[in-house]
Amino acid sequence: MAFTNNLLSLLIFPAGLALLASGLIFQWADRKMLARFQNRLGPRWFQPFADVVKLLSKEEIRPKGAGEIVFAALPIIALASTLTAALYVPLFGLAPIFSFPGDLIVTIYLLSVLSLSIGLAGAQTRDRFSIAGSLRVFTQMFAYEAPFILALLTPALALFISGTEGSWEIASLVDVAATKYWFVLIMPITFVVALIGLMGKLELPPFDAPEAETEIVAGALTEYSGRGLALFTLARAVELVVGLTLIAALYLGGVGTGPLAPVLFMIKVIGLLIIVVMLQTLLARIRIDQTVSLWWRIGSILVLLQWVLLIAFRMLR
Amino acid sequence: MTTTQATERFIIPIGPQHPALKEPGHFEFSVEGEIVTNATVRLGYAHRGIEKGTESRNWTQNMYLLERICGICSHIHSTAYAIGVEQLAEVEVPPRAQAIREIVAELERIHSHMLWLGVAAHDAGFDTLFMYTWRDRETVMDILEALSGNRVHYSANVLGGVKFNLTEETAETILKGLEFLEERTHHYRRVVENDAFFLKRTRGVGMMTREDALRLGVVGPTARASGVDRDLRNDAPYIAYNEFPVQLITLTTGDLEARFLVRIDELLDCYRVIKEIIAKLPDGPLTVARMPRKLKAGEVISRVEAPRGELFYYIRSTGGESPDRIKVRTPTLCNMGSVVTQAVGHNLADVPMILVGIDPCFSCNDRAIRIEGSINRRHDHLWSWSDLRQYGIDFYRRQLDYSGEINT
Repeated sequence: MAFTNNLLSLLIFPAGLALLASGLIFQWADRKMLARFQNRLGPRWFQPFADVVKLLSKEEIRPKGAGEIVFAALPIIALASTLTAALYVPLFGLAPIFSFPGDLIVTIYLLSVLSLSIGLAGAQTRDRFSIAGSLRVFTQMFAYEAPFILALLTPALALFISGTEGSWEIASLVDVAATKYWFVLIMPITFVVALIGLMGKLELPPFDAPEAETEIVAGALTEYSGRGLALFTLARAVELVVGLTLIAALYLGGVGTGPLAPVLFMIKVIGLLIIVVMLQTLLARIRIDQTVSLWWRIGSILVLLQWVLLIAFRMLR
Repeated sequence: MTTTQATERFIIPIGPQHPALKEPGHFEFSVEGEIVTNATVRLGYAHRGIEKGTESRNWTQNMYLLERICGICSHIHSTAYAIGVEQLAEVEVPPRAQAIREIVAELERIHSHMLWLGVAAHDAGFDTLFMYTWRDRETVMDILEALSGNRVHYSANVLGGVKFNLTEETAETILKGLEFLEERTHHYRRVVENDAFFLKRTRGVGMMTREDALRLGVVGPTARASGVDRDLRNDAPYIAYNEFPVQLITLTTGDLEARFLVRIDELLDCYRVIKEIIAKLPDGPLTVARMPRKLKAGEVISRVEAPRGELFYYIRSTGGESPDRIKVRTPTLCNMGSVVTQAVGHNLADVPMILVGIDPCFSCNDRAIRIEGSINRRHDHLWSWSDLRQYGIDFYRRQLDYSGEINT
């Protein structure tokens, strides 16, 4: 029975199919809201589904010079790792499916595999736009990754500093967070860094230099079509959900208890999505060198500042 | 090691098909990392043989052909042509017609600059501004439709006058639309001037000094943003610009931000001058009493200020019903050199912005081209004008033979 339950939760709900569907719905919400903010009509609700289904049914063209196995494997690795990352976060406000001490670190690394796969996918074709795009993907990754990871680790670190209930396990962090003030009130700086880091990770505007269509067409994924592109699209959609869930769970007061907890949690996640969409609407794309200097000059300093503040408060108390 | 560098250049090709370009042109940017080290341009993909086409049409038909050189600045092409032909025919166009021509020309400038603002914002990755400006551009398109019945090719000119009158009713529509546009334009000016993320992409990017601008022969708003005080509407007033002058707008910074601000300020001045014309519209007929069908032999140069800069027409008549030669030079050609020069040393990400900064219009620009020292050396023989002409005549004669016509 336990086996069947596990299988169900892995394949159908909350991970698996439900996760894929919610990823596409989030993507639709993102596109639709962006369109409405920009005074456009935007896509209908099934557009992302239709896109993926259509892409999956299309012929996949492998360009000359791309390694056969790597070319086919990279999209699968990308999607698999984002789906795996989803197992450790409280999807839809439910308890994580699997949990072990240190899964926070593992999740963060699994979330990075997407960017890594996209970068490699671009680098191993011979297309010039792909190579330029993958160069940017990697450059951007080295820019946002450190501040983003540090920002996600900050809640755990703060608990360790305060000496109580510190843990590197997402499930226990979420439980602790539900009993305290929202961490966003105590650590607003790292919350902002984490949210904007997620935008960088997902290559959303203003950090969409790696796929700036007016410069390098579709960036690293220029040569991808059919199934590969569909899998990358799905991976991105899932990563949006997982990333938002993780940030909401860590910073916006965990999941809580009671029958309404999942609903409240989803409201928080969607609230975060709205903030992300607003930032996308407001900001113009910044150049890759500006991205790097933004993250290293401001992003990392802000995280360190937050840590200094946390330690200072602890010392004073 | 210079030789290895030269052979191992990493070239990013842009065009003829590329999302940054809505029209065909080919650019090759050699990059080192993200920095552009060399740039070349190849034009001529949209050569349509319009100049040759004019020679087999009569003076009136050519008006419609030439209006179709450009979809955005159609009126200014037909105006340049009409001014030239009217000069050859020695007719005096009535003042009311001239004033209506100026109204349409300035409305077209609004339409063109609005469109440019959106395209430039899109190339900077600022799609919100793009969508908003294009939404507001619909207002000026509606105005033009109310005035002429068409959104794009207004077909306002006829030789010796204009086709339609400006009624009280349309004047009201125009004023109402302009009020809305003026408010929006002030808003866009604030955005362009103050948006921190957008300024990162425009301020100090694509610098061109006044000396460079003069050396490269840059025209239009691109030149005016570099402090070159050149605007044909002031320097050599045509149609009604003597009675209703426009303000010369220049900035001295010469970067992309200046190019944005010059165009936006020109928009604001367009609104002012159109309102002024509507308030003081002279009375009188719309066309001359008689426009001759055949023109005297002679040649004329007519220059007008298109939204993108100086537009040049050379018209020669040998006394027949159709022109002997019409030469068109559009402003994009003058400005293209500045793109290749400015791009070197910039980030690849800035290149689309620099390119769009001159407001390129490739299809207008593509006349006959001659490539010297290019890769393609199949035709090392240079054709003289009479060779080309003879070739053209023979070519069409062969075509007629094929269709069964009898030639001698």
